[in-house]
Amino acid sequence: MTAVAAYGLRVELPRAWEARLYRRAGPLRHDGHAEAYGHPDASVNPVLHLANFALPPGRGDFGTGAVERMGPAHVFISLLEYDRDEAGRPLFAAAGVPRPQVTDFAPSALQRRIPGQLGCQRFFTEGGRALCLYVVLGSRRHAGELVAEADTVLAGLEVSAA
Amino acid sequence: MHVLVLVETVLLAVLTVLVAGLLRAYGTVLRRLHQLDGGVQASASGPLTFQVEPAPSANFGPAHDVAGTSLAGEVVSARVVDVDHDTVLLFLSSGCTTCLTFWTELAKPVPLPPRTRLLVVTQEAPAERPDELAGLAPPGIDVLLSSQAWLDYEVPGSPHVVFVEGASGRVRGEGTGQSLKQVAQLLAQATGDPAFVTGARAAKPSRDAAQEAAVDRELLAAGILPGDPRLYGEPS
Repeated sequence: MTAVAAYGLRVELPRAWEARLYRRAGPLRHDGHAEAYGHPDASVNPVLHLANFALPPGRGDFGTGAVERMGPAHVFISLLEYDRDEAGRPLFAAAGVPRPQVTDFAPSALQRRIPGQLGCQRFFTEGGRALCLYVVLGSRRHAGELVAEADTVLAGLEVSAA
Repeated sequence: MHVLVLVETVLLAVLTVLVAGLLRAYGTVLRRLHQLDGGVQASASGPLTFQVEPAPSANFGPAHDVAGTSLAGEVVSARVVDVDHDTVLLFLSSGCTTCLTFWTELAKPVPLPPRTRLLVVTQEAPAERPDELAGLAPPGIDVLLSSQAWLDYEVPGSPHVVFVEGASGRVRGEGTGQSLKQVAQLLAQATGDPAFVTGARAAKPSRDAAQEAAVDRELLAAGILPGDPRLYGEPS
């Protein structure tokens, strides 16, 4: 099984899943939606993107540029770290990496609404680090299988202590 | 007596022609064997000719996923094997003269069949200079620095192109060329898919699409690619 690790994050990748892990120093080059690609004064915390489809370059932190390419059998996961002093605050009160269920997903949770897709967003603290998990499913019809796939990936995610 | 001499002369001439023919054929066989044995080296003045051929996938080796870093510093694990998309791996460097043509061509939209991804793969530092690559790589092009991928695919030099079929996880063709356009044409011929030249097409009724695909196959088999002047007849 392939693994990707950096910045205190490590994930085992099941078959067909790929990953891109980065810490943005400044806004990426992009063709539009500048606000989705970060600002020069933004924090340089790590962002981990996982998907069971080909991740394109130049994505936004919440998957802008990638989610538009998703098919019905695809899943996109983004794990974003916030500043360390946010850990444990009310927004990040939940402890441990969340494992969303099918009922947690809704179109209204999508950062950008795309017909057929469902989203789920959870803030939490793990190892003294403030994190956000954002998951997009390619279709409601395959939601059960897709959530199970995402769960397998999240089971292989390790967050080192701050 | 004169007749006997004449017959012998004719026989001698015929035998001479036969022996010469046999020697020539023997020389050809030796030359071909030498080529197959890898005896032909790239000339110092130019790259190897393209070697993609319309062969069954079983003739090529297994493919490998690509792990490395992007020019933006991302840690990347890109799937190539056992996926529902195909991949064109374009091995380039910042230093080779022919590669400059490819980098320039990459600034324009690259035609690709549906569900086909283009990954430009370079070596890592110190074999490669990322700052120079950053100046060469056009926006929107996925460039990965992975020396391991060069080893995995046994890349003989740059530019080098490998086409991987995702479903089977096997290499379907590889080689080099003088330009991206030339490589695209050879990939179209090798795979029988003109979309390497035309790009993905708009959806059509299935009967029209099937008929068009059949015509494309016939034309490709005859070495006629999209844009070939022969498709438009003689100028009046």
